[in-house]
Amino acid sequence: MSQLTDALASDIATGDGAASGKAKKPAKAPKTKRGKLSVHIAHYKWLYVLLLPGVIYFAVFRYAPMYGVSIAFKEYVPFLGVNGSPWVGFQHFQDFFSNPDFPRLLGNTLILAALNLLVAFPLTIILALLLNEVRLSILKRTVQTLVYIPHFLSWTIVASLSFLLFALDIGPLFQFINGVLGTDIDILSDPNWFRPLIVLQEIWKNTGWGTIIFLAALSTVDQDQYEAAIIDGAGRFRRVWHITLPGIRSTIIVMLILAIGQMLNTGFEQIYLMTNALNRSVADVFDTYVYFVGITQGAYSYSTAVGLFKSVVGIVLIFGTNWLAKRFNQSGLF
Amino acid sequence: MIRRKPSLAAAVVTATALTLTACGAGEAPATDLTSVSIMAPFLEAQPPSNDGAVQKKFEEFTGKDVNITWAPNASYEDKMNITLASSDIPHVMVVQGKSPGFVKNAEAGAFWDLTDKLKDYPNLKTTFPEVQNNASVNGKVYGVFRARGPMRAAVMFRQDWLDKLGLKAPETTEDLYNVAKAFTEQDPDGNGQDDTWGITIPKWGALGSNSPYDIIEEWYGTGNRWTEKEGKLVPSFETDEFLEANRFVKKMIDEKLINPDFATFDGTKWNEPFFNGKGGIIVDVDSRVSVLINLFKQANPNDFQNKVGFVGNLKGPDGKLHAHPTDGYSGFLAIPKTSVRTEADLKNVLEFLNTMNGKDVATLFNNGIEGVNFTVEDGKAAAIKPETPEGKAVATDIKSYAQLGTNITGNNFYPVKQASDYEQKVYDKRVEVMAEDLKSAVYNPAAAFVSPTYVAKGAQLDNIVADARIKYLAGQIDEQGLKDAIKLWDTSGGNKVKEEINKLWQDSK
Repeated sequence: MSQLTDALASDIATGDGAASGKAKKPAKAPKTKRGKLSVHIAHYKWLYVLLLPGVIYFAVFRYAPMYGVSIAFKEYVPFLGVNGSPWVGFQHFQDFFSNPDFPRLLGNTLILAALNLLVAFPLTIILALLLNEVRLSILKRTVQTLVYIPHFLSWTIVASLSFLLFALDIGPLFQFINGVLGTDIDILSDPNWFRPLIVLQEIWKNTGWGTIIFLAALSTVDQDQYEAAIIDGAGRFRRVWHITLPGIRSTIIVMLILAIGQMLNTGFEQIYLMTNALNRSVADVFDTYVYFVGITQGAYSYSTAVGLFKSVVGIVLIFGTNWLAKRFNQSGLF
Repeated sequence: MIRRKPSLAAAVVTATALTLTACGAGEAPATDLTSVSIMAPFLEAQPPSNDGAVQKKFEEFTGKDVNITWAPNASYEDKMNITLASSDIPHVMVVQGKSPGFVKNAEAGAFWDLTDKLKDYPNLKTTFPEVQNNASVNGKVYGVFRARGPMRAAVMFRQDWLDKLGLKAPETTEDLYNVAKAFTEQDPDGNGQDDTWGITIPKWGALGSNSPYDIIEEWYGTGNRWTEKEGKLVPSFETDEFLEANRFVKKMIDEKLINPDFATFDGTKWNEPFFNGKGGIIVDVDSRVSVLINLFKQANPNDFQNKVGFVGNLKGPDGKLHAHPTDGYSGFLAIPKTSVRTEADLKNVLEFLNTMNGKDVATLFNNGIEGVNFTVEDGKAAAIKPETPEGKAVATDIKSYAQLGTNITGNNFYPVKQASDYEQKVYDKRVEVMAEDLKSAVYNPAAAFVSPTYVAKGAQLDNIVADARIKYLAGQIDEQGLKDAIKLWDTSGGNKVKEEINKLWQDSK
């Protein structure tokens, strides 16, 4: 199921599914006149050929594996295979929801997701707007490239850098922060610092990259409107507020819907690498939990059930926000 | 903002879906096993090469084509679980312990039950039946265990610091405190700066992982994982001694006698503060003594003696020695039924393992190839100096191949002759100290028992106590908080674990 949300995301983000989406439309029209479907296909056969790779890709890599989701409802033992393992119904889901870990996991996941949404997401827009205001082309491009670079570093490197910078007693940022605050906090293990640290890393790594799509949207805003506004005496801030932002509103909403759909996907590596015994109470999220019980303990069924729950919530969130966006007369995702 | 990362659940699902397709097309393998596949962990930076001299000798001795899949030790458990869920299962698998994943598969019948089979093979019939029982799943033997020295716990300290301050080597936990305090406060390196601490502990908090915490607790008399109290088995952390031991550790942490970053300090860097003169004491296995000596030797071949001192286990506050032993084994070699399907195939594989545990292969895995990297001097294997490139390659490779050695009939290879008289003296003393401590070893009475509830959620349960222990030591929670965590262990399923373990214990009597 999470493949489904991923698929949606990939359609929008990379556009690789866009061809199939467009090609589907002509197929819908003749459904009313059944007998003519073959004629229709023959007529548009090259469009259908173009559609084929996309369909095959999704069928093989996105839909076929979903058969394995059935192990969430079984007591799966690899030796017995998926078919041989006995059915247990919703047992794993019941275990999960009644588990004392559940409220903590849900809380941690939602808080981290909300922080990322409230802090990191607006920052990408603000950075894009700032970049858009830079008139000196070479400066703009240089800054743009520089802010992209952290995106290409792996989380392992980001975590190692953090360990160096915040190391107890010797890390330069440790000394700076504790010097300013006049405290003696071990930032790496203090649970109160875990969330700020994660959001900071996220901002450092991905904000620049996130601006790409907004910069693309900004380039489509009608330049004449700015000229008209300048003649009307609008200042720079007014122009941003009344022209730029409304111009990219639909992009912002689409990105927001997608971000909300991904809310429970806090990402595994970053959090796993930053977790230790002292901050685990705030660091455990669904993704690390699935790894812990699923891969290291071999509880495949249980962890698949957890993953499935996450994906269902993701779908509900996508449809929910999409519906809300439409209610407020905004263009939704679909 | 958009992260397209397939979730782990999806990965698991994909893996299983692939298994399914592969199983459909599976056909029975030939009964004549000309090649044997093995999965094993490696602890070095690199796995050995597939066409190295050791591999060739190994194939020559066993008469089989051997394919070894090496997986890094750090992620071996994951890799093993994933392999079991895949279609490509080796004939022999090193299993590192009775992890939930292994037990679940074993109980579903994924591995051959070898309980009555090993006795037919001279090199597989163990001379340590108790250890074999410890390695079993409630008496069922699912593998040829990898024997390990049962006594390994030691206290290592900077001998030069000790001498400088005119102190004696510690004998009791109280001495440990005093030495750590002196190392912290009396400027043992004589640089006039307050830049040393006593003991270095890495982030190594899991229960029963032979961490310094576990070792110190056992010295205090908590027992080893489980202990008998009033005719019942209880987990060590439910004893008063557990709280007492942790009060002791916390006192040292509060007085900064232990490295302040103990909760995040990486275990792979454990030697660094010791070598660099930051932290003066390490509580770990005794083999670290030679690792540390080697560090000093590499830095200065002319002045490395008397830098590292060590003693064995320490007496607790009750004046008695409760030495901390291991379970006597480190996992085992199991034979999956998916790849070895018939009794005839199993016989072939067992024959192969029998040869592998013979003297020839044991010598190859532990000493190397005679004339290439070692020669025999007075019944000991002496390294050939200067090292030839071939000799070096062999010496490096055998560190990984030793993971396949089980030595369940004792060590069938030459003891290693140390490089210098000093090192030989230290080595002999290690053997002596460990043998002496072994007499006072307090074993885990529940080592052989596997409780179903523990298999289902033991790891999560133990995490509750293990994390609380670290939080208590770091001052995040007080002693009441630690007690509450232990209660939470009980109510979240621990009571059931205790019940089941006690029943198994009673039944085995």
